[in-house]
Amino acid sequence: MSLVTVVWSMIAAACLTLAAVHLPVWWRNREARASLAFAIAAVSSAAIAYFELHMLKAQTPHEFAAALRWAHVPVVFLLLALAAFAYHYLDAGWRWLAIGGIALRLVSLVLNFTTGVNLNYLEITRLSSLPLLGEQVSVAEGVINPAMAVGQLGVVLLSVFFAAAAIKSWRQGRRAGAVFVGGSLTFFTGAALARGLPVYWHLVPPSPNMLSPLCLVIVAVMGYSLSADLLRANRLVVELSEREREAELAADAANLGTWTRDIVRDKLVASRKLRELFGFSATERLNAEQLVQRVHVDDRAAFRDRLSQAARRRGDYQSEFRLVLPDGPLRWIAAHGRVDFDARNRPLRSCGACIDITDRKEAEQEMLRLRQDIAHVGRVSVMGQISSALAHEINQPLGAILRNAEAAALFMQHESPDLHEITAILEDIRKDDQRASEVIDRIRALLRREEVAMTKLNVRSVLGDVATLLRPDAAARHVGLELKVPADLPAVRGDQVQVQQVLLNLILNGMDSLEGLVERPRAVTVTARRDGPASVEISVSDSGRGIDAGHVDRIFEPFFTTKAKGIGMGLSISRGIIEAHGGRLWAENNADVGATFRFTLPVAV
Amino acid sequence: MAEATVHVVDDDESFLMAMSRLLRASGFDTRTYASAREFLAQRCRDEPGCVVVDLRMPDLGGLELQATLATTQYPLPVLFLTGHADTASTVRAMRGGAEDFLEKTAAKEVLLEAVRRALVRDRQDRDARSHRDELRARFAAISSREREVLDHVLRGRLNKQIAGDLGIHERTVKVHRKAIMTKLSVRSVAALAQLSQEAGLPSSA
Repeated sequence: MSLVTVVWSMIAAACLTLAAVHLPVWWRNREARASLAFAIAAVSSAAIAYFELHMLKAQTPHEFAAALRWAHVPVVFLLLALAAFAYHYLDAGWRWLAIGGIALRLVSLVLNFTTGVNLNYLEITRLSSLPLLGEQVSVAEGVINPAMAVGQLGVVLLSVFFAAAAIKSWRQGRRAGAVFVGGSLTFFTGAALARGLPVYWHLVPPSPNMLSPLCLVIVAVMGYSLSADLLRANRLVVELSEREREAELAADAANLGTWTRDIVRDKLVASRKLRELFGFSATERLNAEQLVQRVHVDDRAAFRDRLSQAARRRGDYQSEFRLVLPDGPLRWIAAHGRVDFDARNRPLRSCGACIDITDRKEAEQEMLRLRQDIAHVGRVSVMGQISSALAHEINQPLGAILRNAEAAALFMQHESPDLHEITAILEDIRKDDQRASEVIDRIRALLRREEVAMTKLNVRSVLGDVATLLRPDAAARHVGLELKVPADLPAVRGDQVQVQQVLLNLILNGMDSLEGLVERPRAVTVTARRDGPASVEISVSDSGRGIDAGHVDRIFEPFFTTKAKGIGMGLSISRGIIEAHGGRLWAENNADVGATFRFTLPVAV
Repeated sequence: MAEATVHVVDDDESFLMAMSRLLRASGFDTRTYASAREFLAQRCRDEPGCVVVDLRMPDLGGLELQATLATTQYPLPVLFLTGHADTASTVRAMRGGAEDFLEKTAAKEVLLEAVRRALVRDRQDRDARSHRDELRARFAAISSREREVLDHVLRGRLNKQIAGDLGIHERTVKVHRKAIMTKLSVRSVAALAQLSQEAGLPSSA
């Protein structure tokens, strides 16, 4: 048997073997497109070797022409596979170069079957013999087909594409891949051109076709790169499991419970700590629903919402919820998680960490409770200050009821009582009774100690209620109390009782500052106005003595007071309330006389 | 007393109405005013009566009303009412000159009694005022020389001493004394002294 036959057959066999190794890789993991490209390249190379062997062994020009014609088919496949490989493996740019090159090769494939005897020759006049590996092989001589230029141009474009991909890959720091894969691809196309172009331009006499060894080289390079990737992946698996152990240690140290969920197969891997937090044993099999079932009923819907939101939108999610353990008390958990997606944007898996925040939550709630207590004490003390005015306010209707009832009793003693008069009296008694209970309701609302309830508040009615409570006191102290609220003011978000408490406090302070003032009108003005798109400013302005320059910063400190009977908590409590509402409270002296206290509240959405 | 009017002044419309009903049912003539200014503006005749006024009112309060009323030609006794008599407002009211001072929810008997007392006081004040006016008219009839003599007489000086002091004849003094006694229609020096005091004359300068 001839050596050429042996070598070319071995090339084909080697290529097919490599293809057989990598095709299953793609079959099992359809994302591994580089493996598919490689397999196609290897099969194409085998085919090229087969046709090339026929060319070398051709006895007639016709045989040679036919083998060369058919060899162009695997060549197109090979170039297509190489371009795809470079595209996926090197993440190359300038895709249009590859598309252009392949398109030209497809055009040349058509020309191959329609012009001349094949793409290379219009006509093969005769076969000459040249020595190769110790035997004579056939080489064609004839008229060169000008259409060959189209194919060559296609190879030029692909060559540029490979070179550009190699350079880009180099710049991105993947130097080994750039040199090895990009470089050899460029070399392969360059070498094919180096052989083809001089023949086309009649610069050198034809030489034996030697594409197959080149093909083998390039297939070997690609195969090696892919294997290197497999090895690297294996090493990464080892490193990854080390990292995982480190992460687990860190998570344990930080009391973090972690989980990973395979969304497609609904399998959940939970760390020991997570199982402990959720009250599961270390060995039982878990799914996501079991975890959700441990979440407090009231928090469950919100928790599910978060999860489905994260599955729809990319990105992390955070959630705080309560757990109800089978045999234990409530436990507060903060969770931070992430959903990963596959290439087609389907949720693939989620992972996350949980931490027990029960202590923090309890401290927060304790603080909230304390703040409410303080606010309540402040309110009670404010009500104490105006209790005399309130007693006055409530005795008005009670006095009227008493006098009306006495009058009615006397009218009834007449021989012919005026029933119209008596009816009018009874109606007045009913109205005054209602008036008295309204006063009581207002007082009770302020003295009640309730959880803070943030609602939409109409500024006009809140200010109106406060003014109604304070009018008797203002009248007794000869203070003009004026409200200025524009009609188009938006509703604000806040707790009605607490906002009223702040207003009561500021207005009473304003009235206190007018004590003993005789040289000018004694007035307190409450003004509300819009302050930007998201906030409303309410100001309480008086015509009193103003704030001492040295006190402007100190008046909000607890226990700071300038009043003989004050305890210095009012403004400090008020500022705490407003800040808890997301607003600000500050004071300034007016340009002319007196001081103004301003605070902001967020507009309700 | 039938023509005496109880003037009720209160900014609380409902209480004003109820108060006036009770007073009417109890047989009083009443008139109501929503503010101290309204009352003062309508007070232009001297009619018997009394004022029942809310101590605390915006603008002009009860005490201011009393002070202003006292400076007019037609004063009236004032009875104060208040919604709630706390220590501070009681002290303030007393210091401001309030005599009768009741809560709005005070017992009916106490309230009506206070009104009656105020009306009685008004009648007494009125009587005292008219008596004094009459005396003043009588004193107005004596001449300035007679007045000088009267001053000396009231100081208990003898005719001779008076003549000496004024540099006139003792007989002239006697004539003046007789004229004074006649004009004031008194018979004795003791009666003369009492009358002078009732008329509010400076008895002994």
